Amino acid sequence: MPRRRLMHWHPNPGATLNSQILAEACSCAESLGGTKDGRWKTSIISCRPITRDSMGAGGRLPPDVPGELLGVALHEHPGLYFSILRTHRLVLQADAAFPHVMEKLQSYKARVSLDFEGFQYQLGDFCLRIGKCAPNNSETMRGIIMEVEYYPLSSIEKSRAIMVDFFDIWQETLAKKSLPGRFIHVESNFSEYGLSDHYSFQHTAVQYATCLQQLMAVRA
Amino acid sequence: MPLVCPDGAVVAYAWKRQLAGQAGASAVDRTRLALKAFTDQKRRFFPHLEDEVLNHLHDGESGIAKRPRMPAGNGELEEKTLSEILKNLENEVPNMKISTYRRLDWSKRASSLASLMDDDFVDPSKELNLQNMGKLRPGSVTTPIDQVAVIELLVPSIFRVVVSLHPAGSVDPDAVAFFSPTEGGSYLHARGLSVHHVFKHVTEHADKALQYFISVEPSKALSMLLRWIADYQTLFAKLCSKCRRLLLMDKSLALLLPPVHRPYHQISSIGSDHQEAYHIGCSSYDA
Repeated sequence: MPRRRLMHWHPNPGATLNSQILAEACSCAESLGGTKDGRWKTSIISCRPITRDSMGAGGRLPPDVPGELLGVALHEHPGLYFSILRTHRLVLQADAAFPHVMEKLQSYKARVSLDFEGFQYQLGDFCLRIGKCAPNNSETMRGIIMEVEYYPLSSIEKSRAIMVDFFDIWQETLAKKSLPGRFIHVESNFSEYGLSDHYSFQHTAVQYATCLQQLMAVRA
Repeated sequence: MPLVCPDGAVVAYAWKRQLAGQAGASAVDRTRLALKAFTDQKRRFFPHLEDEVLNHLHDGESGIAKRPRMPAGNGELEEKTLSEILKNLENEVPNMKISTYRRLDWSKRASSLASLMDDDFVDPSKELNLQNMGKLRPGSVTTPIDQVAVIELLVPSIFRVVVSLHPAGSVDPDAVAFFSPTEGGSYLHARGLSVHHVFKHVTEHADKALQYFISVEPSKALSMLLRWIADYQTLFAKLCSKCRRLLLMDKSLALLLPPVHRPYHQISSIGSDHQEAYHIGCSSYDA
C-alpha cells in the first residue's frame, strides 16, 4: 500500500491548542491545490489488564503482563483491528471482532478511547488527512495530526526523500500563517516491530501508537 | 460495392466487406485484414517511405528483424539482435529486472498483477515469488526470442516499464509506458497510462524520446530507449539540475512532481552522475 507519514502538532511553550490552528492547516492544504475529498477517522483504544483477586495480594499484576494494550481501528478498513504492545514491540492485525473476544475473555478492558478525525485532501499523487484528536464522544481537543500519503510508492526507504521534501514544502507554506507551533514527525522504529520496508497497515498502526505517545508527552 | 474515392483508391474499411457474413471471424482475422488494407494504402500513397518493415509484417509476426551489420565505431557494443541488447542491458543495470513476453502472455501477467496488488495485506515477497515461479516451475517455458513482443523492465519499488516491439522478435519499439510497481490490471500495457500523475508525465516524455530515437537511428532505437529508461531509477531521489529541488509545484498542472524529464538528445552512460533531470517547468523540452 502507499507510503504514509504521520505528523502531530507541537505547540510552542505556553501556547494552547485551538480549532483555529486546525482551520489554518486545512487552508494550507487548499493553498497547495488540495481538493477536499471527504472525511476520515481513526480510533485508538487504550486497554488495561483486568486484575483479579487470584493474582495475589491486592490483585497486583505479574511483572511480565503488559500494563497497556493499544488497539487501532483504521478508517478505510472497518473490518480490521490492530493490537499493539509497545513494551514488547508487537503489532497484530486481527478481525474487528477481536476487542469483543478480549472482553469475553476478561483479559483486557478498554479504558480510554481517542478519535482522530477530520478532512481529507487530494493533492495530485499526495493525499493529506488533517484532523484533531479528541476523546470519544467529547469535543475536547487533545491534539492535531496530519497524515501524508504518497500513492506511487510503497517502499519506506525509496519514498524518504519525497516525504521529507513534501514536509519541507508544507512547513514553508504553514510558516506564512505565523501559528504558535509546528508539525513534527517522530520516526517510528518499524524494524523493532519486525516490519519490512514495504509499507502496510501495520506500519500505520505503529505510527499512530507513536503519535499518541508524543501527544501525551506534550500534554504532560 | 466498396466505396471508391475520386482518385481511385478503395476506402481502407472495404476490408470489412470481406468479413460480411463471416460472423465467426476472429479479432485476429479482422486485425490482419485491416493491417493489410492500411499498409497497401500506405505503399500506394507514400511509396517513398521505407518498406522494409512492411515486408516483415506481411511475413507474419515471426522471425528476427535482419538489420545491416553496424560498423563498430567508438567502442560501443555491437548489438544486432534482441538477445544481445537485453543481455548487455542486464550486465549494465543488474538491479533492473528484464522480462520478455508474447503479447497475450503479458496481458495475463498484467491481470495477475491486479489480483496480487488488490490484496492490501500482500506479503512483499509475493511479487518476487510470482516472478521466480515462472523460472523455477518444472517445464516452464521462456519466451522464444523471435516471439518477444513485450519487454518488462522492473526496478523494484521505483517503476515498472512496458515496452512493445513491433513486429514481435524485432528490435523495433513502437510504444512505451511507465507504471508504479504497485499497479496491476489490463490497462498495464505499452499504450496504457498509469493512474499516478508522476508516471503519466514520464510516459508522455518517454513517448517523445522514443519518437526521437526512432527518427535519428532506427536500428539503435531500442538500445537507446532501454538505456534511457534505466536512468529513471533515480526518479524519486535525483534533484532537478536547474532548480536543485526534488519536488516542485508545477503551476500549470497544479501538481507537486519530482523531475520527470530526462534529456534524450544526448545520453550519458547509465548511472552517470552527469545525467540530468528536470522538472517540467525547468525543462527545455515541450511539456
